[in-house]
Amino acid sequence: MPKDASTDKPLVELVNVTKIYPPDVVAVEDVSLRIYKGEILFLTGMSGAGKTTLIKLICRLETPTSGVIEVAGRDLSRISTAGIQRMRQKIGVAYQEFRLLDKQTVLQNIAMAMEVTYASTKDIQARVEELLALLNLSDKRDKLVGELSRGEQQRVALARAAANGPSLLLADEPTGNLDAAATELVVNLFRHLNEKNGSTIIVATHDESIYAETQHRVMALCNGKLSAHPNRAPRQIELFEA
Amino acid sequence: MHFLAYILRQTGKNLRQTWGTQVMTLLTVTLSVLLFAFFFLIYTNMLRASTRLGNDVRLIVYLDQEVTAPMRPVLEKKIRGFAPVEKIVFVSRTEAFARLSAQLGKEKDILNDMGPDFLPPSIEVYPLKKLDDLTKINQFSDFLLTLPHAAKVQSGSDWLRRFGYFTNLLRAVVLLSGSLLIISMTFIVSYTLRLTVLSRQGELEILRLLGATSAYIRLPLLLEGMLQGFLGSSCGLAALYILYQWIARHFSGPGFLNLFDFAFFPPELTTAILLTSVLLCTGGSLFSIRRFIRV
Ligand SMILES: Nc1ncnc2c1ncn2[C@@H]1O[C@H](COP(=O)(O)OP(=O)(O)OP(=O)(O)O)[C@@H](O)[C@H]1O
Ligand SMILES: [Mg+2]
Repeated sequence: MPKDASTDKPLVELVNVTKIYPPDVVAVEDVSLRIYKGEILFLTGMSGAGKTTLIKLICRLETPTSGVIEVAGRDLSRISTAGIQRMRQKIGVAYQEFRLLDKQTVLQNIAMAMEVTYASTKDIQARVEELLALLNLSDKRDKLVGELSRGEQQRVALARAAANGPSLLLADEPTGNLDAAATELVVNLFRHLNEKNGSTIIVATHDESIYAETQHRVMALCNGKLSAHPNRAPRQIELFEA
Repeated sequence: MHFLAYILRQTGKNLRQTWGTQVMTLLTVTLSVLLFAFFFLIYTNMLRASTRLGNDVRLIVYLDQEVTAPMRPVLEKKIRGFAPVEKIVFVSRTEAFARLSAQLGKEKDILNDMGPDFLPPSIEVYPLKKLDDLTKINQFSDFLLTLPHAAKVQSGSDWLRRFGYFTNLLRAVVLLSGSLLIISMTFIVSYTLRLTVLSRQGELEILRLLGATSAYIRLPLLLEGMLQGFLGSSCGLAALYILYQWIARHFSGPGFLNLFDFAFFPPELTTAILLTSVLLCTGGSLFSIRRFIRV
């Protein structure tokens, strides 16, 4: 993704995006949203509000029924297959249902994300060690993912999403299965990526503990409609440009 | 560039994951190449033999009267007027008798009672090599029968004709086994590849999510097909070569095989068979990839 120097160009932009699952389930309705480079955005909302759908729309796992989605200035509906592949290598997604390979080890699962970019084995080893240390999973490196607890699997999914040092990280319910201590590790990982790597991060969550005290923007989805979180004033963009 | 390393490693992984089917596929490819190449080898040797035999063709005109010396140039001119001829040999009664007794060697005593006149005089006509077409030879032989005092023409074309039928039959068998080869290779390889794809379905799905390029996903599968084609046809050809060696060793010396001067494929043909198999198998895998993978 080209690092855009101009401050008014958003990394992700949604314009009047509506997603209707056939026949008539309106999952996301007329959402317009700009997310700038280096921002951390919390997407909240009740179960079924449309958080996962919004995330899938941004990584083009779903296509909008109407409206336009741009990532790094490129209209997702006009991007080629090769373009999507390149884009996905730079976007890390931690799925709500993890989407890990149960019969492969933690190392193999995380390495996969880096292998598709043809990273060297040495780099992969080092990066995986680093991420596992950050998420307190170092002793699980060679365990099969299917034998891990849900909370451990969740962190593996996050590690895989973070492996390539993505420009954009999409985390869907990243702390759903975690205790307070593990949640702390995940929040620290986000901070680490955001500060060290300049990653833009979108977190879909209903875990209030991770956004209660944040300085960052929090938006709420309700029945597919987006609004500023009721308890919080919308943050100014300028805050994140330093 | 770690590209190649990844592709090769993934190919190895695929082969290991479905090795049972891979071995079966390899055997099928090997057997179909062996079958086809076997018939093809016989066919090419027959073709070579028939051109060689065609070169030896001579027509013998048996006469009921000796040709006098002044008549010889006249006849010769007449024959040469009909078709290009390499050489014409006039054989008189005595010459024929001398030849036969020479051929009989020690047993020439049995000719003692016959007298030197019992064999007919003849004209041996050696057509030019380009006259190897059967119909032309038949026409020539009909013409020779119209010569004065010609009683019978022996052309050996009957034998050539039968040989020709056999060659045609063999050609049909070669075509049949060739089609079998094409079908078995493309179908078996694409079927095996389908299994590979299915066994990796979950993984492929996730690779897609991670932004794996088409090359990253497809090349290992293509390579798998190529490898099957290369290994399978190499094994098939090697087996045929061993078989050929065995036959050559056991049936060497004067006899049937000597007549044919049985030989293995020249290197170019071996390479062509190998390449064709690789192409066919790659085609089969391409078919599966396009059919079962949407990237
Ligand atoms: N593939 C689908 N086909 C049809 N309807 C769907 C599909 N995926 C989601 N929906 C519907 O769209 C709506 C929004 O779903 P979504 O998964 O985006 O909610 P969510 O906010 O992520 O919920 P949760 O917090 O439970 O994960 C729901 O009503 C859901 O039933
Ligand atoms: Mg969800």
